Formats: sequence, C-alpha cells, structure tokens
Amino acid sequence: MPEFEVWAEKYRPKSLKDVINQKHVTERLEAFVKDKNIPHCLFAGSAGTGKTTCALSMAHDLYGGQWRANILETNASDERGIDVIRHKIKDFSRMKAIGNVPYKLVILDEADALTRDAQQALRRTMENFTRTTRFILICNYSSKIIDPIQSRCSIFRFRSLSEKDQEKFIERIVKEEKLKISSDGIKALITLAEGDLRRVANLLQASSSLKKNITEDVVYEAASRAKPKDVEEMLKIVMKGSFKDARKKLHEMLLIQGLSAEDIIKEIHQQIYNLEIPEEDKIKLIDKTGEYDFRISEGGSNLIQLESLLAQFFLFSKKK
Amino acid sequence: MPWTEKYTPQRIAEVVGQKKAVDQFLTWLKSWKPGKKAALFHGPAGTGKTALVEALGKEKNLEIIELNASDYRSASQIKEVIGQSTKQKSLFKKGKIFFIDEIDGLAGKEDRGGVGEIIKIIKESQYPIILTANNPWNVKLRSLRAYCQLIQFGKVFYWDVIKKLQYICENEKIKCDKEILKQIAKRSEGDLRSAINDLETLTRDKKEITLKDLDSLGNREREMNIFDVLKIIFKTKTAISAKLSIQNLDKDPDEIFLWIEQNIINEYEKPEEIAKAYEMLSRADLFKNRIKIRQDWKFEKYMIDLMTAGVALSKKEMYRKFSRYQYPDRISFLGRTKAKRAEDKEKLIELSKKLHCSTKKIREEFLPFFNELL
Repeated sequence: MPEFEVWAEKYRPKSLKDVINQKHVTERLEAFVKDKNIPHCLFAGSAGTGKTTCALSMAHDLYGGQWRANILETNASDERGIDVIRHKIKDFSRMKAIGNVPYKLVILDEADALTRDAQQALRRTMENFTRTTRFILICNYSSKIIDPIQSRCSIFRFRSLSEKDQEKFIERIVKEEKLKISSDGIKALITLAEGDLRRVANLLQASSSLKKNITEDVVYEAASRAKPKDVEEMLKIVMKGSFKDARKKLHEMLLIQGLSAEDIIKEIHQQIYNLEIPEEDKIKLIDKTGEYDFRISEGGSNLIQLESLLAQFFLFSKKK
Repeated sequence: MPWTEKYTPQRIAEVVGQKKAVDQFLTWLKSWKPGKKAALFHGPAGTGKTALVEALGKEKNLEIIELNASDYRSASQIKEVIGQSTKQKSLFKKGKIFFIDEIDGLAGKEDRGGVGEIIKIIKESQYPIILTANNPWNVKLRSLRAYCQLIQFGKVFYWDVIKKLQYICENEKIKCDKEILKQIAKRSEGDLRSAINDLETLTRDKKEITLKDLDSLGNREREMNIFDVLKIIFKTKTAISAKLSIQNLDKDPDEIFLWIEQNIINEYEKPEEIAKAYEMLSRADLFKNRIKIRQDWKFEKYMIDLMTAGVALSKKEMYRKFSRYQYPDRISFLGRTKAKRAEDKEKLIELSKKLHCSTKKIREEFLPFFNELL
C-alpha cells in the first residue's frame, strides 16, 4: 500500500515566495529573513489563509536545513495551561540557537486558546529571552490576546483568499495528481470551503477518492459524507421520546469519539431549526441551549451540562 | 471530660487491640531519618489511629503539631501551619511529630495543591510525619501513597472491646452485667470509641445498668449502602431526608453525584421530571466547579443540596415500583475504553506533528474527510 499522503500538507508552500495572496505580509517577512532579524510576531486571520504556513516557511528560509532544531512548535489548543509556558517554552527559550542565526523561533499556534494566566506568564518569557528566542503567535482573532502581548508584537493580518486564488490552488493540485474536474466542481469546492485552503485540499482529496472525474455532485457527496451526523441523530432520537437512547448516543460522542462539548453544542444549535416542533418551541430551545453553553463556559462539566440540555429537549418531545 | 478522652491511652502499650500496627509503627519510627517515608495509618473509625499518636507524644515527650483536615485544606494553609516549623526545633519538648489527620478529607485533586504540598513537606521535613486516612486507596491519594508507609489498623477485636469496657466500669464503680457489655461491644462493630461513648451514655446518671437500658440507645448508622441512598433520594418527598441520606455513606460527593445522574432515568419517567432533575444536577455541577476553582468548600453544601434534595423533589409522585439502580456508566465506560482512548490520542498527537495543527483541528478538519481512507 502506498503511503497515505495528506494533500493539505503535501501542497503546503515550503518557502515564503510560494505563499498564495498574502503579498502584504510575505514582503515584510522576507525582509526580516534577509536581515536575519525577526521581531515577535502576531499572525491573525481566519482559518486556512496561510498563517501557519508563513511561520513554517519563514523558519525554512531562515535556518535552511537546520530549521527543525531551531523551532519549537506548540499548539495552545492542546497545551493551553500555564505549565507549558513555564516549562516547555521556557526551557527551549533559554538555550542558544544552532547555526548562524542568533536566535530560535517559538511558533505558538492557536494562541487564542491560551488561558489568561498563561498569557500573563508568556509576557515575561517573551521579554526575558528576547536575546535567544523570538515568538510567532498565531490566532484567529487578535482580540483574544491580551494587550501587553499585542504591544510586544508586530501584527500581521491575513486576508481571506479570493476565488481566483483558490481556483489556482485547485488547478495546481488537479494537475499534479492527474485528476479531472469540471468547472461546476471547482465552484462547489469554493462554495463549501469558504475561503479555507486547508478545507479545499481536504475536500478535493476526499472527492478524488470517490471518483477521478470530479463534478459538482461528487464534491457534495464527499462533503455530506464528512458531515458528522451524530448530533442530528441524537436530537431525532430524543424528540421521538427516547431520552435513554439519546443519552447513550451523547456518551458515545463525548467519551468514545472524544468530540468537544463546544462543537456538539454548536451543532445542536444549528439543528434546532430543522426540528419538527412549533416555531415558538424552537425559540425556547435556543434560549435553553444558550444557557447551557454559558454554563459550560463557566466551567460546568461537559457531560452533565449536555445531558441536562438534552433533558430539556426531551420536554418538547413527542412523548409529551 | 468525656470518657473517650479520659480513657485514651497514656502509653503506647495501652493502645487496645492493634499489636501488629503498633509494632510496625515502632519499627518505622526507629529507622526514620529526614527524607524517609511518612507513616500512613489507615483503618475504620475508632480503631486507635489518633490515640496511638497521642500516646506516643505523651510517652516520649514529643510536641505534636496537628493539622486537622477539616480546618485546613489548601496548599498555602498547610504551608503556613506545618511548612514553617519543619526546620525549627521544638521549644519545650524533646522533639516533634507532624500529624495530619483525616487526610482523605483534605486531599483534593492534585491541582488544589494540598496533596502536593504534603509530599513536599514529607520530602523536606526534619521530623517524622504521620498521616491518617479511613481509605488509603482513595484515588485522590494516589500520588501521595508513594511517599508513605501504610500501616493498617483493623477493627478492634470483640473481646478487646469488652475488656476495655470492663476496666472502665471498675474504675467508675459501675455495676454492669457482662452480657450488657457484650451487647455494647457487638453493636460497636470494632469501633472502640463508639463503644465507650455508648457505655457513658447509658450510665450518665446511674451506677447500675440493666439490659433494658440498652433499648434507649439509638442505632448508630453504619455505612449506608449507595443503593439505599438512591432509594431514599428517588422515593422521598421531603428535602431534608434526601439531603441527610448521604451523610452515613462512605463515598465522596463527586461519586455520589455520578450515581444519582446515572439513575434518574431508571426511576423517573415523565419528561418534566427528568428535565427538572437534570436541571438540578446541572446547577449542582456549577457549584462543584466553583469549589474547585476557588478552593472554597463553602459551596459544597449547595452542590449537595441540589443534587440530593433538588433531584428528590423533581418528581410529582413517588413511583410505586421497584427500580434497578445501575453502576455509573461514566466510571465503567471510561475504565473500559481507557486503552483505546490513549491509543487514539497518541495517533492524533503523531498526526498533529505531521500536519502542524492541534489535535482538535485534526479531529474536526481532517478526520471527517479521511475516515474512510485510513
């Protein structure tokens, strides 16, 4: 079996000059690389616009073959606590760089997931180790990063990609992978991906696994297969009046599949409109959903809060 | 002075019915040097754990610095009481012993800091440390156990209880049939303290007791079983009995919470009742978290009231049926799928390195597209 390759990674630009449509950003980054002097940076912008790619490309261009030894890539969404800042990042930061660039790079992806405490701790680390380490923080919304950190960084905003750029990207992959795609297939990809190049690549790859000749229908088929149906199913079950089974479904999603409560509740909210119940009941359920969403963000346990929300749906079920 | 205090052992040899534990303890004490393990006394209530420590203090003229778990809980407070004096010499006595009672009540999750602080003290202390717990296998104490030598206290043997009671009767000049003492000893189920308490209650204002007097003693409630507790909560219509039901249960509220959660659907049938009961649990859950983030145990009472009385009063009528209550899904589930989840997590981390994004993103953005391919 040939090694499975993820296209989103395969077609990720390796150098700043290959990054699509972020000229305003890449020009300045290239200048930093030329001077071998990089300030702390904050990359902000929506998903799949090239933030991580730019950070990695910059490391490539800067360190050449030694890039791996000189960067620390961490993901705040997996390691969001203060301990990561205090130990992992600090330990890395205090050591000297290898090669002819005087400092190393810490790439902190999804930095908006860092807790406030962790951000406070980060602020000191950034100052104390400026001589040996520079930071690149990556986030969707810069507003989630505390002011003192923002003020220490050069901020770069990444634009959403135009349809033309996405089309170019699609054509590049199609050519390399020897596929065929119809023009309405391309249109469908762009509509569904909403400007996110990662999703374009994933969706294209999933489509290609269905058929080598990609049309609009194939793309939609691939997208609908990828859509999680568990939440929809769970709500159907509970509205039919079987709370027990719905609860089981919920346990499966949370405990086995490991879905996050945040995503489940987001999906629940979207599904309310499709339920077959009186319109005014939908509003009541939306209100409830908001309330439980809030309780989770206040620190309530995922399982208990979602179960309880499910029980509120049960109130509006056929059984009643 | 209550008799339990008056007749508490003055010397180590007077500790009743724990020869093995006492021997183990003395060996530990003799070989103790700074940096060595602490002693963890464990066993049911009233078996002499605290008494042994006090007897030791008196006999060897040691200063005992006690930390009662119900008063001090957080890391900073432990540090304040014990941390300071681990290195200072005692002013008036020959030496010191640190004594942390009821450690299972004190231990929160590691992040509440209590357990971690105790471990630190054990490592640094210049004086021996003794801890007590009813249940040393409590998961909360897992990290601590590595730093302790466990010394088990068994239930006090029936005849040992009788002997001690006889001694007290002679001393107090009470006339009492041996049959009565036997009854008291039997009721105590190896808890010497409760036996002495019962004897004192019976002889409060007289010098002679008869078998009939025994009836006046209320039955001391022993460990309730979780199923009895669930039955009370789900069947009762009064708030107070639901709330009190968990008092004699040897499980911590977090676990009871899971049991109640699991069994709502095994008892209640009407959607309104289920929704209401879950709403109560949801609110209790919020208080549970407030305890955790603020390290403030005053919120525990709200959590307990909501999850017991709140759930009890969610029903309109008592169900006249037999309900089979179940073991919490979550505990058994998590146990069963632990290996698989660890494996999945590992794979995700591997992928996250390759694809330069978080495991969350992998799950959301990549896996849905590739599930069929992989």
